[in-house]
This record gives sequence, C-alpha cells and structure tokens, in this order.
Amino acid sequence: MNNCYLKQLQTVSKSIKTVIAFANLSGNKVFLQVQTANTFIMPQQVKRLISAFAVFIVLFLIMRQVLTPSSFGELGHFRAKAIQENMVRELRYAGSVNCSKCHEDIRANKAQGPHAQLKCEVCHGPGMKHALYAGQFTNGQLPDSLVLYKPGERKDCAICHQLNAARIKIQFDTINHTMIHQIDAMKHNLADTDTNIEFKCIECHNPHQP
Amino acid sequence: MKNKSAISRRDFFKAGTIIVGGIAVTTALTPVDGLLFATERPAGKGKWYGIGIDIDKCIGCGKCANACKKENNVPQEPFYFRSWVEQYTIKNDGTIIVESPNGGIDGFKQSVPSEEIFKSFFVPKMCNHCAKSPCVQVCPVGATFETAEGIVLVDENYCIGCRYCVQACPYGCRYIHPVKKTVDKCTLCFHRLEKGLQPACFEICPTEARIFGDLNDPGSKLNYFLKNHTCMVIKPHLNTGSKLFYNALSPEVR
Amino acid sequence: MENHIQDLYEVLSKVEGYVYPNEIELNWSILIVLYPYITGLVAGAFILASLERIFKLRILKPTYGLALLTALSFMLVATLPLVSHLGKPMRAYEIMITPHLSSAMAIFGFVYLWYLMVVLLLEIWFDYRRDLVLWAIEAKGFKRFIYKALSLWTTDISPKSVALDDKLGYIVTVIGVPSAFLLHGYVGFIFGSIKANPWWSTVLMPVIFLFSAMVSGIALVMFIYIILNKIRKQTIDMACLDMIAKYLFYFLIIDFALEGLDQIHRIYEAEESFEALHTMVFGKLFFTLFIMQGLLGTVVPLLTLGTLQFYTPREKIRKPIYLIVSSLILVGIFFMRWNVVIGGQLFSKSFYGYTSYKIGLIGAEGYLMAFIWLIVPFIILSFLLWLLPPWKKIDVDHEI
Repeated sequence: MNNCYLKQLQTVSKSIKTVIAFANLSGNKVFLQVQTANTFIMPQQVKRLISAFAVFIVLFLIMRQVLTPSSFGELGHFRAKAIQENMVRELRYAGSVNCSKCHEDIRANKAQGPHAQLKCEVCHGPGMKHALYAGQFTNGQLPDSLVLYKPGERKDCAICHQLNAARIKIQFDTINHTMIHQIDAMKHNLADTDTNIEFKCIECHNPHQP
Repeated sequence: MKNKSAISRRDFFKAGTIIVGGIAVTTALTPVDGLLFATERPAGKGKWYGIGIDIDKCIGCGKCANACKKENNVPQEPFYFRSWVEQYTIKNDGTIIVESPNGGIDGFKQSVPSEEIFKSFFVPKMCNHCAKSPCVQVCPVGATFETAEGIVLVDENYCIGCRYCVQACPYGCRYIHPVKKTVDKCTLCFHRLEKGLQPACFEICPTEARIFGDLNDPGSKLNYFLKNHTCMVIKPHLNTGSKLFYNALSPEVR
Repeated sequence: MENHIQDLYEVLSKVEGYVYPNEIELNWSILIVLYPYITGLVAGAFILASLERIFKLRILKPTYGLALLTALSFMLVATLPLVSHLGKPMRAYEIMITPHLSSAMAIFGFVYLWYLMVVLLLEIWFDYRRDLVLWAIEAKGFKRFIYKALSLWTTDISPKSVALDDKLGYIVTVIGVPSAFLLHGYVGFIFGSIKANPWWSTVLMPVIFLFSAMVSGIALVMFIYIILNKIRKQTIDMACLDMIAKYLFYFLIIDFALEGLDQIHRIYEAEESFEALHTMVFGKLFFTLFIMQGLLGTVVPLLTLGTLQFYTPREKIRKPIYLIVSSLILVGIFFMRWNVVIGGQLFSKSFYGYTSYKIGLIGAEGYLMAFIWLIVPFIILSFLLWLLPPWKKIDVDHEI
C-alpha cells in the first residue's frame, strides 16, 4: 500500500514538471499528448462521483434558500413573525374594570360585602363580547351569543364554598384575617321538607351581597 | 492451519484508533450549543416576566383553569391543559394523594375523611416560562422560543409535531392539540399582554393567589411578593430557570 | 378525532395514582420504538460488514455483501415511521433547512443523509461498480439501462481502476465506523439528554443503544443469511456463521453488562424517582422487561452462545440453534427499545402515578402499521438481492 502512495506522489510531481515544461512551448495538442503518457488523470469514477455530489449539494442549497421562511433568524432561531401571530388572538375575558362601565350599580353593591374584590367574570364567564357589543342593544333583548351565564345552581356556589380540608386554613385577606366561608353544600338547607324541591343558594344569599 | 480469527497487533491498534476516533468525532459533533444553553437573565432593562403563586391563598375553585381554556380555545376534554389545579392530601400515616379531576375545572371533592388528614392544600400549575427552558433547547426546528420579555411561545405554523418538547418539559405543561396536531401550551396570554391586560388566569383568581409581574421592575407586585414570602420553584435541581415562584410550597409537590 | 378521544377516556380509566393531566396521552408510540430499532439494525449490519473489511476477518466474506445490502434496505425505511408519526409530516423538511443545533433531534436529517449517501451508498457502489459495468454489458433493455445508470455511466474496469475502487471503499468504511456510531449514538443521546425523564436520563444511554444496535444488526444478518441460503438451497459456510456467533456473543456480553450497570447504578443511588420506577418495572413493565428483553432476549441467547464457545455440536444442530438465537435476540432488542420508549412514558413525571398505553390493530400508529414498516425492508432487500446479487460478484479479495 505504501508503494502505491509513493508511486502516485511521484507521478504527480513528474506530471507537474512535464506540464510546466510543455506549457511554454505550444498549445493544447502537446498538452494532451503529455497527459495521456505519465500525468495524473482524475479517475473516471471519482469524476462521476464528484459531479453527482456537486449536483446534489447545489440542489440542496437552492431548496434551502427557497424553503426557509422569510422572517426566520431575525430575532433568534425562530420565525420572527410568530411573535406577531401569537398576538393576534381573540380576547374573551374583559376584566371587571370594563364591566363597571355599564354595571356600576352592581359593583357598588358588591363593594360593601365579602365578595367585594371578586371579579365579575369569575362567576359570569368571559365577557369581552358582551362588553363590546351588548351596549348596542338598548331594549334589553340580547342575542344568545351575548348573554352571560348567571350561576344559580348549588354546584356553582359549591365550587368555591364547599367544605374541604384544603380550604380550612385559607386566609386570603391577611389584614382582616378573613377566611373563606365553607359549607357542606349537599347538606345545608338542601330541600324544602314539604315539597322536596331543592333550594338554590341564591334564594337566601344574594350573590352580590352574600 | 493458520488461525483465521486471530487479530494481529496492528489490527488491534487500528481498531482501537477507529473506536477512540469515532467517539472523539462523535463528541465533537454533538451540539455545542446545548452545552452553552444555560444562559443568564438578559442584562437589559426591558421587561422580564415572572409568575408568583401563593399556595396559602388558593381555594381550589379551578376558575383559573376554566378561564384559561375559555380564553385560549383549549379543547374541553380532560387531556389538554395549559393550566390546571392539583389537590394534595397528606394523610396522618404519610400517604400522599394527589388529584386533579378534569384539571380542577369542576371543583374538588374531599376524598379523605378529615380525621385522617395531616395536611391538605391546592397547587395551581401552569407553564413556568423557564429562563433556561429545556423545551426550547430540544425543539429540532425552532418552533418554540423565548421572547425578549421572557415568555416561551410556540410557533404553531412551524411546529412539526414531533413531541420532543412535550417529553423534555419536567412540569408536564405541554400537549399536542388534537385538531391542529401541533404543540400547545400556556402563552401567558401573550395576546392580552400587549393590550395591557392581565393573563386570564391572573385576572380571574378570586383570592389573588396568582401574581404576575415584571422581575426587572423593583416596584412590581411580583418582586414585592418574592421579597415578603419564602418562595420556591418546583424541581429546582433540574436547573430550568423556572420563573414560577410558589409561596408555601410543601416538599411533596412535584 | 372522536376515536382518539374515546381511546383517551379508556386510558384515563386505567390511570393509577396521579399523572399530570397532559401526560394521560402517551406521546411517542410504537413508531418511535421502531425508529431506533431500525437504525440500530442498520448500524449493526454495517459493523458486521466492517469487521470483514477493516478488521480483516476474511472468514466473514460470505456475509459482507449481504450485510451491506441489508443495511441499505433498512436505512431506506428508517425515516418512514418517524415522519409518519409527526403531527405535521408535510413540514418534515424543516429539520433539514432550519435545524436547531441545540437539539439532538435536529442533526438527524444530516446524520441520516451523510450515512446514507456518503457511507452506505458509496461503499456499496465502490464494491459493486466493476460488477455493475460487467452486468450492464450482459444485460438487455431496461435492466441494462439501470445497471449503466447505477454505475454512473463509468466504463473503466481496468485493474488499476478496480484497485482504486477498493482503496476508496476502504476509506469509506473507515469513515463509516464512527459514522455508524454517530447514527445510532445520537438516538441514544436524544433519550439520554432529557433531564426531565429519569428513566431515560443517563450517561450510558448512547452507549447502551449503540451496543444493543450492534447486537441486533449482527443477529439480523445471521438470521437473513441462514434463511436466504435455505431459500436459495445453498450450503451455509459454517465457519462464517460460527464467527458471527462468536462476535454476537462478545457484543451481547458488553450490552448485558452495560444495561446491568445502568440498573445497578439506579438501584444503588435510589434517587427521587426510584420508588416510582421500581413499581413500574415490577408492574406494568414486568413482562416486556424481565421476560421478553431479559430472559428470552438476553439470558437465553447468552447461555446458548456461551455454551457453544466450549462445546460444538454437529452442524445439523448448530444451524437451528443459530436461527433461534438470532430470532430471540431480534425480538429481545425490539423489546429493549419498547421498554425505553414506552416505559419512559408510562410513569408520571410527578412520580405519583402511571398511565397506560393504548395501541390498536389498525390506525396510523397501530400494530399493523408497525408490522408493515418492519416487512418493507425485507421486500426492498429481496429486490436488491435480485438486482445486485452478492453471489454473482466476481470475487475480489480485498487487498488493502
């Protein structure tokens, strides 16, 4: 194997010398003649391989250029446009500040009780659509899509107020040390003893002023 | 007869070089980026959002999980959550029971009689928007990234749905949207932030157990919260740079 | 989607303890079990071929061409389970144009391309070029065109040219060995670098994957060699087969040692996740881990092959033993991948519970699809053996 390498090196150096010598004399014909004799020719299979790979690499680079999204890499390894795309989503929750604009009376009423800092949408659900469009309907007849949920069932109150060992110690107002009132919603005044109709919590407790 | 199976010394060294060379090449080619991934908080003066959750205040109403699903169009089935609430019950004998029925959206029932309970509390969970996020590190195409304000977002038009980030998240925050087939997760209501509104879950919480704010602003509610409480992150040993700080985090919480 | 949701409700009913809600659904299915299995077979078959070429184990000559063609057939199929599993398969090209270099998965595209084009195809080409030129002369019509095209329209088959083919092929094989390590090692790294998952996160993962790949690849070539010669009604070169079995034995020992070390280390350190993993290993994973991977896939082959090192029964007995042992190993290594991929998702990252894996018969990620992906390489191999039969090659003793 070592001999082979040595031979090739010798061939290459010989060929370089020969080329330099003959290049000074005449044109291509002589050059070619010299080549076929003793000089280094790129083997046929290597030539083919190099062309095949060259074609492939060029194609790949072209595809890469074409397919890479335009805003990619501007801010980091991601499409910068994605930030904009994440911004343009529909808002569903309005925030209590927006509710008070029309329902100031309810807010004032609530402000005096334990539900004072409770946001409207906690119980009534997402209100952005309502806040934006309900004002147009002055006759009080809202289309179904703008009507907000009015929780009235026991389970709606029980979600926060059901007796639970994990709630016992909750003191959310550290200044007044008030705890969340808890009740066993399945037992407390469950139903009318005569008619057996289930009482709703809101029949005795005003949700805005409990 | 010549032993055909004998390996000459020359061949042995050849073999050794190839193996060692192979390992060396392989190591050199491993993404060096990954090693340098654990970066520090950006030094700039811009916003750097973080989250605080006060376990002492959470009443487990599940309204946050509910609001999140409604605000962000998350599928209603109980397998896809951007944010959810867990109830931990530690019994007197040391057994730990964790529950999250439908992510807490329908509320919780007390499953263990009070006499047997040693301790019980609720833990809201959501994306921690990690500063050294492992999910961003493993995305093969660059479909998830962290913005300059510290929010980890997903590019749903570029995501190929390989689910590698879902595997890499230690907190279980990501899921594959069943219809879109790309990954989805909490975006800190990015679309609300730029309009000056709070993320839906923070907006809705009845007891202000969730605090959202700018870590770079010394006067922010979040920094006040961090200063006045002993806060911890979940799985700190994984060095994810989690920016979700819990007050009163009990050691059982994972 | 309805069916999918129905399946998820069924999984939900089987959840034990507590899992994060997003973990109820398993993310990586049997298709992701298949991918490391198939690339492992490729890497292993190639290593067997390189044993002959680089390490001069001439006795393995009868399986050299077969090993290369086997590697190629499986290589062509390797990406398919992966791409079909993606949520958005039509975007799969993104990995090639914007690879995120901090992600081990991102280098997949390039490693795959490199190994396919520069290593496998080139080596096979250099090995077969002279024969392609000669077969092109003999053949007629369309087949002639195919052979000419495959030889890239070269015509030079002088001894000097063939010697060059040989030398270049040798260089490619030398490059190929670390490339094979990279091809399968990075798959192990994909799992081993996930710190969130303690079943996967171990330094040994790339090495374990690598050695189990070599074991499975060698077993595959052994299996195919026996079956193929039965079909072609040719005599089997028992010396070759015995040598393959010997190397299979060596690599299996190393593989077993590595896996054992991983588990011993995990048991000894007993980190945070240990109890949860322990329950899983002795519960949901018991059958696939201890029976399929452990007993049938490792211990039985080890004992059998080990015995054969000391006691050599008649050829009539050795042949079926080799057939059985290679099949057992192939099955065992499949379950090793299963235990890693599926096992890593059965337990919750909260360490408080376990979910379950629902797999159907039909469907894009069902048993049938997995079976098809495993059969297609054999079909490709049959075609390749018809097009480029190794036994019709003019015997060239690799001089270098």
